[in-house]
Amino acid sequence: MIRTKNLHIGYAKELLAVDDLSLDKGELYFLIGRNGSGKSTFLKTLIGETPPINGEVLLNGNHISHLTYKEIPKTVAFVTTHFPLTDYLTAEEYVRLARTPYTGHFGRTSSKDQDLIDQAFDILNIQDLKQRFTSELSDGEKQMVSIAKAIAQETAIIILDEPTAFLDYTNKQRVVDLLKNISKTMGKCIIMSSHDIDMSIAAECPFLAVNSIEKKIRQVLSPTSKEEIINLAFKE
Amino acid sequence: MVLALLLPLFCLLHLYVGQIPISFSDYWSSFSNFDATSSNHIIAREIRIPRLFMALIAGAGLSIVGLLMQTLFNNPLAGPYVLGINSGSSLFVALSIMTGIPFFASELGLITNALLGAFLFGLLILFFSRLVKTQISLLLIGLMLGSFISAFVAFLQSASNAQELKVFTLWALGSLQKVEFSQLPIIIGITIVGILGAFLLVKPLNALVLGENESKLLGVNIKTTRLWIIVITAILTGLVTAFCGPIAFVGLAVPNLVRILFRTQQHFILISASALLGAIFILLCDVIIQLTEPFFMLPINVLTSIIGAPMVIFFILNRLR
Repeated sequence: MIRTKNLHIGYAKELLAVDDLSLDKGELYFLIGRNGSGKSTFLKTLIGETPPINGEVLLNGNHISHLTYKEIPKTVAFVTTHFPLTDYLTAEEYVRLARTPYTGHFGRTSSKDQDLIDQAFDILNIQDLKQRFTSELSDGEKQMVSIAKAIAQETAIIILDEPTAFLDYTNKQRVVDLLKNISKTMGKCIIMSSHDIDMSIAAECPFLAVNSIEKKIRQVLSPTSKEEIINLAFKE
Repeated sequence: MVLALLLPLFCLLHLYVGQIPISFSDYWSSFSNFDATSSNHIIAREIRIPRLFMALIAGAGLSIVGLLMQTLFNNPLAGPYVLGINSGSSLFVALSIMTGIPFFASELGLITNALLGAFLFGLLILFFSRLVKTQISLLLIGLMLGSFISAFVAFLQSASNAQELKVFTLWALGSLQKVEFSQLPIIIGITIVGILGAFLLVKPLNALVLGENESKLLGVNIKTTRLWIIVITAILTGLVTAFCGPIAFVGLAVPNLVRILFRTQQHFILISASALLGAIFILLCDVIIQLTEPFFMLPINVLTSIIGAPMVIFFILNRLR
């Protein structure tokens, strides 16, 4: 699903070197690291928003720089930290926008598009939110609707930037369980960033650890102890 | 739907209320069988009909432009005024009236100057939009340009004589009565092109509601969209400002009203409703102007704000409750 070769990321200056990664479908990966360690930059590199300084990113076997701006949204869905603040946008209309890469010139959605939208709400069991305005949703509900949008985008890869940052304990658990479930049942490759160590361990998922001392991103296959994670990613 | 039914009603009302009563059969025969010696026919063709169309065009055009700007900048305060595009027109008109520089004072006249100003400042904003990264910076640049130009125009005004000042002030107050029948086809043609252009942008506009970054992630070509929005803005604003003067307020107020009334972010609905409501709003203002004409002269620019501002405040308060 996602492969990287000799990848170096950053802006004008190199921020991190990335181990050659091989991320598969059916898995939820935790990208963990301290605040400001470059997690978001790494994610932005994976969606083609920030070009790599060096090396390659392959999405679904395609070199990312060969994908056009219209093809990337059909390959990878990105859930940002900032939920858009707009009046009069219902949750259903918001999720409908995920079909933008597939619709024709006027953006009309077909009945197949509508089915996918309904399905996304069904999977998360949030049908009751459909007609609510997004500006009136709670933080937990907003996150659910964002995930529904990512599902409706029908991509092999979903990337989420800090999806649990503003949530309480129950909602955090709910989001992680759901993402794990979706990766397994729908065969998607999902990456979520987080700096919550306990939650990450409890999820028993593979890790990508940002080590800000060595300036490296490593893949850690098996779930590890808290001490090991701190050593890998949170050492002062 | 209701708006679509109201519009023809207001058109008929608008034709009906002029100072000199003209029957609908006169309107009809002024087209089918024009009699150049009949004063009723002349009034109908040369005054009433052009005035009706300018009201429709000004209302619909400015409202659509306001909506496009507000969506592009993700800011309900945006509008052609804020971007300094109206100011561009004002500057060129002021130059033509008050400086006596041969280039501006040629027989091209007020209208061409206003159109030229809107286009040049549209291009200027377009140029800046390529330099700056965020829409907020662009909005700020537009505001700065606007106030810079206003200061410059004020300076020109203070340095000009009474006659020149009067001509400029009258233009700036706005009027729907400067168009001749023979000019109508080209004006209507340009307006239709502008409005159709806006409808062609429905899909990127819908995505832009989420902001530029999110819509880019959905495969929207931001740069092209931005370019077309500014081109349409320059065309419609330039046209309306040239013929009617800088009509403020409509572009800002109508799209906001439409969103409050229709409670949606689907731009097919928003564009249609803004055009209809904008046209109805200007028609209503002009009906009032015509009814009060025997007593005093109300400039359109004054009336739009007098009626519009309380209306918007009322709707905002109602919505918050």
